[in-house]
Amino acid sequence: MAPEISNTSMFFLIFFVLIPVSLSYFYALGLGKSIFWSSLRGVTQLFLIGYLLTYLFSLEAFTGISIMLTVMIVVASLHASKKGEGIPKVKIITFLVIVIIELFVLAMWLGFDMIAFQPDQVIPMSGMVIGNSMVAIGLALERMKSEFKESKGKIIAALSLGAKPEQASKILIKKIVKSAMIPNVDGLKTIGLVQLPGMMTGLILGGVAPIEAIRYQIVISLSIFASVSLSAMLVTVICYRFFFNNNQQLIPITEK
Amino acid sequence: MGNQNIIMEAKNIESDRLKNINFKLFEGEIVTLIGPSGAGKSSLLMLLNRLEDPKKGEITYRNKNINEYEMVKLRKEVGMVFQSSSLFDGTVEDNLKYGPSLFGEWDHNRGKELLEIVQLPVDYLSKDVEELSGGEKQRIAFARTLANRPDVLLLDEVTSALDLKNVELMEKFLKDIIPNQVRAIMMVTHDIKQAERLGNRTFFMDEKEIAEQGDTSQMLRNPTTESLRAFLEEGTIDGT
Repeated sequence: MAPEISNTSMFFLIFFVLIPVSLSYFYALGLGKSIFWSSLRGVTQLFLIGYLLTYLFSLEAFTGISIMLTVMIVVASLHASKKGEGIPKVKIITFLVIVIIELFVLAMWLGFDMIAFQPDQVIPMSGMVIGNSMVAIGLALERMKSEFKESKGKIIAALSLGAKPEQASKILIKKIVKSAMIPNVDGLKTIGLVQLPGMMTGLILGGVAPIEAIRYQIVISLSIFASVSLSAMLVTVICYRFFFNNNQQLIPITEK
Repeated sequence: MGNQNIIMEAKNIESDRLKNINFKLFEGEIVTLIGPSGAGKSSLLMLLNRLEDPKKGEITYRNKNINEYEMVKLRKEVGMVFQSSSLFDGTVEDNLKYGPSLFGEWDHNRGKELLEIVQLPVDYLSKDVEELSGGEKQRIAFARTLANRPDVLLLDEVTSALDLKNVELMEKFLKDIIPNQVRAIMMVTHDIKQAERLGNRTFFMDEKEIAEQGDTSQMLRNPTTESLRAFLEEGTIDGT
């Protein structure tokens, strides 16, 4: 059982907030208000989500999981699709890609008995997969727009030589997917050596033996790796088409 | 030019950047396009390679509307080289074989032939394009388009960023390849002297249209429009 942190102990966390606030005043950084409000906002959000999760965990499994996953996926797709502003149907594409990824990962977890279909297991694990996919999709969309802009000359040269849009885009798709995957590849290389991953830390603090905790960490780390690669690849191969018209000509994507 | 075969023809072309464009391109000739920036010279070349489409009018290639050709076939036969070399990452050979490989036609010996045409050593085939100088990159870009064995070659200011030596070389390549390897060339240039050196005919473009067209030396010596006269005077002052 995890040791409880009393309200008094929690109160003294104020010192952790006062340190950056003092530094801000000392060096006239002008960040004092911002540090204070973001800390307050973060704490409030976490308390609210704590109460919400407690409520959802008390519901029947299917209902609790469905409500929370829907909220997570909608928020994640709205956030990620902002990076692809100007690309037609980017919101719906991002939403569908995250749904597909989540269903695939969930099917693997449940199918191979890695976790049980319970809100206290499915919701936190899915949150990590959805959150990481959101970041990967955002990176892929952002990179796609900048690559099509920067490499416009190469794409036009490829088209002029007779390449179809899918062939002309190949040179970019590789770069885009790679850039979205690199943070995870690097993260996996040093996992556990530099810092203990969040989930494993949580389980150890909760009283789970480290050797058991790493099993969960391996499940989630590899699930994230797969979902990040898949989501970046899917969103890229779906969206690159919008940079071309039916006559195999490059068209500009304009942000609103 | 009356007895020669028409290879490309534009009739009443209108687009956002062009108006009332009419011309014929004949086999065996080099047409140079001159005119102030923004006159529509590059836009015109883009239409011929179908990188853009006009809003109105018709362009024919070998007496057939270019829209009736399969896109890859048209772009292979009406090749284009751009101002910036825009080489793909990889080796010189990766670039040279890009077009032919799309049609499954690449042969390593063809790479050697192409390098001979642009006067670069054969061992350049395995060289990374990042190691090339600006002039060499442009020569490879030129050879990359030639690799498709185009019928018509469109050149968009391909020598504007080159030094004198490379400009001379490129001009020599153009004279060497016409009419046996390429049937006709249409090239945009800012250099009036170059237009005179290479062009059989010249189109002067101004404010989105072809303001004057005719035999190069005759037209540049005796311009009939005020706009061409003014353009040539400016060009002389600039020394371009």
